Amino acid sequence: MRLLSKISYYHFGLSVVVLGVTGFIMFLSLRAEISKEIEEQLELQAAMVAEELQIGKNVSFPLVQITKGNSNLMKLPKVFTDTLIYDKLQNAHEGYYYFKESKLINGNYYRIRVMTTYIGWGSYSRTISYIFLGIAALLTLLGTLINYLISRGIWRPLLVNLRRMKDYSVSSDDGLQLISTDVKEFKEMNAVMVDLAERGKKEYMALKQFTENASHEIQTPLSILKTRLESISQLPLEPNVVHLLGDAKTAVTRLSKVSTGLLLLAKLENDTFVDKKWLALDEVVRRNLELQEDLFEYKQLNITLNLSPKQVFASTSLMDILISNLLANMLNNTNDGANVAITLDHEKIVFSNTGIPLSFPESKLFTRFTKGAGANTHRNGLGLSIVKQICSNNNWKISYNYKDELHIFEIEF
Amino acid sequence: MKILLVEDEPVLLDEIATYFKSHHFTCEHATTFKHAEQKLTDYLYDIVVLDITLPDGNGIELIEKIKQKHLETGILMLSAKHSLQDKLNGFNLGADDYLTKPFYLEELNARVNAIYRRKALKGAEKITFDGITIEPLSKSITFQNQEIGLTRKECELLIYFVINKDRVVSRTSIVEHLWGDHFDQNDSFDTIYVHMMNLRKKLLKTSGKDYIKTVYGIGYKFTF
Repeated sequence: MRLLSKISYYHFGLSVVVLGVTGFIMFLSLRAEISKEIEEQLELQAAMVAEELQIGKNVSFPLVQITKGNSNLMKLPKVFTDTLIYDKLQNAHEGYYYFKESKLINGNYYRIRVMTTYIGWGSYSRTISYIFLGIAALLTLLGTLINYLISRGIWRPLLVNLRRMKDYSVSSDDGLQLISTDVKEFKEMNAVMVDLAERGKKEYMALKQFTENASHEIQTPLSILKTRLESISQLPLEPNVVHLLGDAKTAVTRLSKVSTGLLLLAKLENDTFVDKKWLALDEVVRRNLELQEDLFEYKQLNITLNLSPKQVFASTSLMDILISNLLANMLNNTNDGANVAITLDHEKIVFSNTGIPLSFPESKLFTRFTKGAGANTHRNGLGLSIVKQICSNNNWKISYNYKDELHIFEIEF
Repeated sequence: MKILLVEDEPVLLDEIATYFKSHHFTCEHATTFKHAEQKLTDYLYDIVVLDITLPDGNGIELIEKIKQKHLETGILMLSAKHSLQDKLNGFNLGADDYLTKPFYLEELNARVNAIYRRKALKGAEKITFDGITIEPLSKSITFQNQEIGLTRKECELLIYFVINKDRVVSRTSIVEHLWGDHFDQNDSFDTIYVHMMNLRKKLLKTSGKDYIKTVYGIGYKFTF
């Protein structure tokens, strides 16, 4: 829930409670006040009736009742209460207040009852409730509006900075730039965030530098190992030595592929590829496919090609790596005789091949050194990370899907 | 063919020099920038194999000097850095090829030979052995003027073998030469086996000889 909505909800709840309680109190005190006024009015009316009687006038008024009686009447108390009277015009029982009092006038005992119409408290309370609910709604509405207006001023820097933090990557060249604000808490948070980003970037650079240096330093010793092992291969060897030598050579090849891959990734993250130009991606696909044609043929894969002309502005060497890695991925992960398809149009390029589902979570597909359960150990698990990195260097979006027994890799330009 | 090897790592230098000498190349070497500069001033070379990371300088700076002295000298850059910038700079200055460490000697040899054919022999050179003639540019292969129909991969394979004759060539070296290094080796090994069988069959049919021997567990050896 957005902060603004949350505040508004609390605001509304609070208004309802406060207004409900005050409304109820107001209703009670109003009723008490009005009852008292009516009692006073009826008392005065009874007194005026008594005055009329005293000067010998005959009092006759529908809502006034005068009963003559003996001294026992004086023992009856003053009564102020309400009653129901049938209203012929409204065709309903209406509430009335009445006041009874006994008086001794000119030596006669009288019981005088005066009445006045009863104000409908039900509709009163309903009206009050409506008004107060209206106030509550208005308060909330105006409160939200004011919050919104304030938020455009106060919250805007936070929201903008939030978006910038979301877009920030330690691998980008630019530092984290946050817009300033005069709110103390936000200021503090900005400082912490910039510091955090700075530290993250430093660590990342150090790590990258290390990867690059390590991969680089490994190449020369690896060259020595490789050439020396090849020299040993030239000698007449016992079968058991051949076996040992074979393992050593395989390991050296793997190591050299891993270090080459890591070096390439480090360079990709640096974005140091300068040979960008407009090139026909369909040509790149055809060229690479031709190079590996015999490998596809050997596995008896049925290739469906659907390539429209498409120009991209990218590094030639990276496009070759991208396409050949995706082709190799298809080739390495299909069974003999499978169907593979490559479709290129103006918006995207899609590589798909039939195969069994992944043996590891999909989220790990593009991470380094992920290998399937049955995968061959010759693979270094860097191919798809390199593919992903090349895509992100070009601001392309790569996605993977498994549908109808098809592994589908899609790159949106 | 006269070659200058500029490489600061003694073991690598020794390996390259030994292999090149076995192919009857005239091989000289330099281990520092200064030393290489001196040699390049004093002598002419057909090919310079140039490691660009030298202890006392950047090998790329030697390219201009080589070109000033003798335009026809072929240059192959060696680098452990995989740096595209270096590669582009080198090519712009006139280098002919670029190879990243670690590499196979057979690959280095194949590339040096390709440069030599292109530069010194202006691409006119034919590779001949035992009555078989290969024209690397047109990929045409004939035995006693009779065309041997080889696929492109078979042809590349044959050239690789002939250039590296009498050497046991490992299967990985062949895989990397034919397809680059992206592929699952088991699949490619099987494919190589198929190519190899076809190549042997075709050569046997025309010349009556089997030039390629399988060296158990290691690779193949081409002799004639």
